[in-house]
Amino acid sequence: MKLRRARALVPIAVLAVAIGGLLVGGLTRNVVYFRTVSEAVDTRLDDGEDRLRVAGAVVPGSVRTAAGDVVFDLTDGQATVRVHHHGDPPELFDDGAPVVSEGRWTGTQFTSDRLMIKHGSEYEAPTVDAAAAGDDS
Amino acid sequence: MNVLVRRTIGLASLSSLSALAVLGLAVAPPDRVQGDAQRLMYLHVPAAWVAYVAFGVTSLASALYLWRRTRHARWDRIATASAELGVLFTALTIALGALWGRPVLGVWWAWDARLVTTLVLLFLYVGYLALRNVPGSREVRARRSAIAALVAFVDVPVVHFSVVWWRTLHQQPTVLNPELNPQIEGVMATTLLVGVVAFTALYVSLLTSRYELARAEDDAQVGALDDAVARRRAAGIHTLTEVGA
Repeated sequence: MKLRRARALVPIAVLAVAIGGLLVGGLTRNVVYFRTVSEAVDTRLDDGEDRLRVAGAVVPGSVRTAAGDVVFDLTDGQATVRVHHHGDPPELFDDGAPVVSEGRWTGTQFTSDRLMIKHGSEYEAPTVDAAAAGDDS
Repeated sequence: MNVLVRRTIGLASLSSLSALAVLGLAVAPPDRVQGDAQRLMYLHVPAAWVAYVAFGVTSLASALYLWRRTRHARWDRIATASAELGVLFTALTIALGALWGRPVLGVWWAWDARLVTTLVLLFLYVGYLALRNVPGSREVRARRSAIAALVAFVDVPVVHFSVVWWRTLHQQPTVLNPELNPQIEGVMATTLLVGVVAFTALYVSLLTSRYELARAEDDAQVGALDDAVARRRAAGIHTLTEVGA
């Protein structure tokens, strides 16, 4: 009876450790999942070599691709930072897209190895292209 | 439960799920930004909704079991059945979220507050189900689990408000946002509503079936005890512990 009880408690113990780990890990560093560009710029010297995430919008017209890398400017309306991303950007990456970039500072530029799109909460049907819908007259 | 009622609920879920398939795949327009990948919302959001409802039902049933005036085995059965469904729909929510997140957000997963607390929710109720199997009398196990279910439910509002309280990659609520201003309209909103209704009907249908199964299991156990007693009486033994000659 005691062995049965002990064996039944093992999955619970494992789950308890997992839950504890998730709460500690997930709700300490990742509670603030990203910093805005202004915040990141302010803490750049303190961050040093640490990994961090910066979020902003892609400045239209700033995107350059070269040899598997993407270089673009990220802004939050107040501060702007140049980002070097190694690899392909995600599907919805475009001018003006809301992007979360994960990486670290290299001088005053940001070196990124992961780009995420921070999708908002609106859902809309595609707009009809007025010119295409109208008559040619 | 009445067979007619069960059949009606089953039929309702089947028809509303079919309507959802048609609306979600063909009638609703693709999203302006996300395109067709956004159609996963019509599964992901209803699944999350059902998970909340299922754990809510588990908590209510647990409370009813714990309160002496309403204590009855049926609440314990409902609590378990609903928790199983809650775990199923939480896992489904996470899987659908990953499928949707990959093309739209760029990642399968992120350790942000919403996703972490949802994973915690899954583990909490899997723990609840594991706790039910720790040896003990029927009443002890039921009472123990009921308390565990109520404690675990604390995570549900945390999951829902995580995107509002903390900075997350996951979006803020589209419908149940703090401003109570839904940012979805037209056919998309209707389809989402049909999805919520369809998944709720499915949940009710599965819950009743699972409950009937639990009751049949309990009856079988009681029946087995009655049979054992009858056999011993027939063999001339009138106590439960005496060994036959």
